[in-house]
Amino acid sequence: MNNNIIKKVSIKVFRNLLLIFLVIGGLSKSKAYTPIVIDILMPAPFIDSTKERVDSFNKENYGKIKIRTTRGPRQTESVSDLAISSLLLGKSDFDILLIDVTWLAKYSEAGWLIPLDEFIDDKEWSLLERGAILGNSYKNIPYRWPLLADIGLLYFRKDLINKVPETPEELLSTSVKLINEGVVSYGYVWQGRQYEGLSCFFLEALHAFGGGWIDSQGKVLLGTKPSIKAASWASRLIESGASPRSVTNFTETEALQAFEQGEAAFMRNWPYAWAELNKDNSPVKGKVGVTTMVAESNGRSVSTLGSWGFSILSSSNNKDLAYKAIKYLTSVQSQRHYFLNFGYTPTYKSLYKDKELRSNSEILPILQQALNRTEERPKTAIYAQISEVLQKQLSSILTKQITPKEGMNLAKSKTLKIIESAGSI
Amino acid sequence: MKKKKIFVIILLTWSLIPFIWQIYTSFSTPDSLLEPFFSLKHKWTIQNYLQVIQADPPFFRYLLNSFIVGVLSTILTLVFAIPASYSLSKAPKSIATTTKLFLLTSSLFPYVLLFLSLLEIARSLNLGNSLVALSIPYSALSMPLALLLLSTSFSDLPIDIDEAAKIEGLDIWQRLRLVLLPLIKPSIASTAIIIFLFSWNEYPIALTWISKPNLITLPVAVARIAGSSIYSVPYGAYAAATVLGAIPLIIIVLVFQKQIISGLTQGAVKG
Amino acid sequence: MIYLLLITPALTLVLIVFGFPIVRYSWLSLHSYSVLTGLDVIPNTAANWVRLLNDDRFWQDAIQTIRFSTLSVSIELVLAIAIALILHQKIKRRGLVRALSLLPWALPTTIMALGWRWIFNTPYGPLENILNTIGVGTFNFLGDPRYAWLTTVIADVWKTTPFIALLLLAGLQSIPKDLYEAFKLEGGNSNQSFLRITLPLLEPYIILSLLFRIAQAFGVFDLIQVMTGGGPAGTTESLGLYAYLNAMRFLDFGYSATVMLASFILLVFYCLMLWILLSISKRIYELII
Repeated sequence: MNNNIIKKVSIKVFRNLLLIFLVIGGLSKSKAYTPIVIDILMPAPFIDSTKERVDSFNKENYGKIKIRTTRGPRQTESVSDLAISSLLLGKSDFDILLIDVTWLAKYSEAGWLIPLDEFIDDKEWSLLERGAILGNSYKNIPYRWPLLADIGLLYFRKDLINKVPETPEELLSTSVKLINEGVVSYGYVWQGRQYEGLSCFFLEALHAFGGGWIDSQGKVLLGTKPSIKAASWASRLIESGASPRSVTNFTETEALQAFEQGEAAFMRNWPYAWAELNKDNSPVKGKVGVTTMVAESNGRSVSTLGSWGFSILSSSNNKDLAYKAIKYLTSVQSQRHYFLNFGYTPTYKSLYKDKELRSNSEILPILQQALNRTEERPKTAIYAQISEVLQKQLSSILTKQITPKEGMNLAKSKTLKIIESAGSI
Repeated sequence: MKKKKIFVIILLTWSLIPFIWQIYTSFSTPDSLLEPFFSLKHKWTIQNYLQVIQADPPFFRYLLNSFIVGVLSTILTLVFAIPASYSLSKAPKSIATTTKLFLLTSSLFPYVLLFLSLLEIARSLNLGNSLVALSIPYSALSMPLALLLLSTSFSDLPIDIDEAAKIEGLDIWQRLRLVLLPLIKPSIASTAIIIFLFSWNEYPIALTWISKPNLITLPVAVARIAGSSIYSVPYGAYAAATVLGAIPLIIIVLVFQKQIISGLTQGAVKG
Repeated sequence: MIYLLLITPALTLVLIVFGFPIVRYSWLSLHSYSVLTGLDVIPNTAANWVRLLNDDRFWQDAIQTIRFSTLSVSIELVLAIAIALILHQKIKRRGLVRALSLLPWALPTTIMALGWRWIFNTPYGPLENILNTIGVGTFNFLGDPRYAWLTTVIADVWKTTPFIALLLLAGLQSIPKDLYEAFKLEGGNSNQSFLRITLPLLEPYIILSLLFRIAQAFGVFDLIQVMTGGGPAGTTESLGLYAYLNAMRFLDFGYSATVMLASFILLVFYCLMLWILLSISKRIYELII
């Protein structure tokens, strides 16, 4: 009796469930095609800046393709860790990664990225500024198409100084002078913490003194005279008081904070800082100037290249569509949008001649100038190790653990050791 | 008497001051954090909390993820550990001692050193990016402590109870369920809470097993926002995140302090 | 038989999670397995071990890890004994006091590490703020190699002292009160009773918490990664962090496995040394008292 009731009820329930499923199935079939989803992982700030362009892409391709962005962490290294975790765990969840210039060699060596030469020809590359073309290929094969160019710039307070320093020594002495006069409490702020930013800062210093890090033949140039000069200059910045002692724990953020508060006269930072410093609530709005890096007469004024670009993962099932999405998000029109709203350095030559952009921003000519003096960090799959060696020795020098000479020689021998155990560079 | 009171106050201050500072920071506007203390310009705000709550994915998602993993690993561990520790308490002394020594050594192992092969396991068995799968290594990692704690409580029960139940004709499952478990309930409770806390707080494995932003657990989420932002130092928002992340634990500790303490101390006394 | 059946799943799980890695690392440490081999595994005999022996960074991290563990565990132990003695006495709201002092232990390490990073921040953190206000000057805690590792020790001490204190408290509570009374009747004072009764009877608890904490401190990872990231000048980098970086950042899994195995061997050695040291000092202690 009891069992019978249960049977009846369950049959009814089963029948109803079946009906519901059928109806839902029919509904979803009658709808337009479900779009193919292209998944992109980006660091958090880029999600916000590309949002409008992503939305308009999705609108234009409604029902066909849909870009879905995933918000990564803010810090560059954490994004890399996340991307690598997802790649190591097997099939990645993403079609496209927005990658930093320093990851390219490692990722392509690991076989995670596909070459883009089937999509992009030389003509298309030639539309970009020189500094935007750099950093996208590894072993002469392109793996990345740039979203924005990024270069190191020297910011200064134009209300405080008459003459912009051109050499490292001038920068140091002007800073000391301004501090002694009590105009600012810090002179020159930069990235002195032991992390990638320190390598970027130092690459510029190396070239300023006529040296380099690793040349195109793979020869390690650390430990040479120019490198020691560069290291002792960095160390003297702190010693002389031109830079605060706490600069050894500064990232871009701390430097920008000190500069924005009006506490510093000079700052090394990336182009994004311009927009931030000229916001309405910024204490130094309108008082800031930008120039290219200082250099000795026998050295070269270079800007470290630090750009972001899109790469397609080998595991992606929709590579053609992924490329379509990349092109859209990096088009001239998109770049204009990023520049006007977020201060991103454009990659296309044509935009540097654009009247509207030029009238809108006084720094565009300087950006172009810096882009043409840009210098890449060593392109190797073992870059992270090599850079950490340099960072660590520099950090030791800046915190007075060892002399610049010892530090640079150690950096050289340790770099050679890493190259040796890797077999090649 | 006075001295003791002062000492207790010092103790509590030391334990709580970093936390109080976080609360203070979390309610301050970014600009006022750059001013010296007790500045007249200091302004209060709840903006930091709004920022954290409205982030994408919302902060509560991480709390929920940690909670799910915590509950799953606790259940999984207990399901394995209760029968195992019962039989461990019945095992001949020499075997029991050897096993316990092995378990003790395992529980001492700095488990951060395990992450690489656990990652390999996750990859080959396709266990990545799943909160359910994440609870497997967690329960394996908490197993040694759980076994030690529970087997001690089983051994502490008078043998007669088990024997008497056997004579009554109850099989092993019935004895466990009806007779023994109710008796060691307190032990189970404290073991469960310690496992839960461990899983809630675990970092290296969660860091490598989960790559989907909406599945990450609280400790990983907090470490991720720790990376400096490009635009400003959002210490206020960090602090708000730490405060929100700490609240569930504060409640747990206040409610279950007896169980936690007895669990920890039993582990020490008998283990 | 049924007993064996009941215990097998649990022990298998433990064996897989703790045993398999050791086997796997031993095998991997004899192979090249990195981004440079295209993520293929290629035998390279002892190249990883030779590299390890010549790797300054590994040895510097080993020294740092040992230094960190030794200092923080020592401070924790001394403080914990003091706290346990206090909490052992009758105090008001003992439960609440215990619960509150247990909070640091219960919070996720990353959360508290983030808090400490802000406290030690230069120049805006509260500590620098106070020191500046009273005119002591700037310390640059996280940027100066002399202080940075000490800040991580402070954070670790803050987090784990209550835990040890509770373990020791359990030990204190297991000491019968009559022993003290008898000792008093014989004319001993309270200092003597601490040395003669409390400390010897507390010994197993001290040893156990020492072992437990040393092993944990040896594997310090979250705290360092969030608080300093290993800097400045690499002075705070622990072995756990180095192994992690080798795998996840340098994509050199063969070497990472070698580092982990070597760290484990170092830990065993360290514990053995500690054991010997403790036995000797115990002998001396017994001779003196």
